[in-house]
Amino acid sequence: MLRNRVKELRARYGYTQSELGKQVDVTRQTIAFIEKGEFSPSITLSLKLAKVLQVEVGDLFWLEEE
Amino acid sequence: MKQDFRMTYPLWNMAFILILAVMAVGFTSSFVNVTKTEASLSIEAQALEGFLTFAALIAYLVLITIYLFALQSYNRKNPGKKISPFSMRPPEYMEQDEGMTFITRKAVQKVYTFITWTLPFFALIVMLFPIPRLFIVWGILAVAFGQNLIYYMEMRRHLKEAAE
Repeated sequence: MLRNRVKELRARYGYTQSELGKQVDVTRQTIAFIEKGEFSPSITLSLKLAKVLQVEVGDLFWLEEE
Repeated sequence: MKQDFRMTYPLWNMAFILILAVMAVGFTSSFVNVTKTEASLSIEAQALEGFLTFAALIAYLVLITIYLFALQSYNRKNPGKKISPFSMRPPEYMEQDEGMTFITRKAVQKVYTFITWTLPFFALIVMLFPIPRLFIVWGILAVAFGQNLIYYMEMRRHLKEAAE
């Protein structure tokens, strides 16, 4: 299962879901789906998020054994 | 998102389908003759059928006028994502980014599953039993209603979760 730190890092930088979405060119809802783990983003979107949140992709997303 | 016309579009469809269901009563003329064994009983219901057809036609015209005004208003407010009333592609698809495409696909998959089961089942029922024409039309409309309801409920569930 894909886990992520999007919510934690977004809070650290004080972004709202809408603000983060705007920076990576997606809707607020898509950020919410990613944070809830409902949706696994593409590599392109993952790279964009990692860039905005200033971390490596591997530190933002990782696989967890079920 | 609640104001997004694409979100409420299935509700419009469902309203149109309900009106069509009433209209079907007049067009299929199923109430005209009711025959009982031994003594024959004939019920003339053309007046009722005519009234239902006329009322449904008026309701349809009123609804389509409101719908076109609502669509025009939406298109004015959202010039970047206009919806054409004559588009072949269902306008309720929300595919503005990969997350929205993902939930749209999930909703469409549920609808597809529903159609896959209901249509052959309905065809079988129609083949096996002498069902009046009105009920066949109602059955088809019920499938169309169900398809819109499933899509709407699924999209609403996802978007509600995203709002929490």
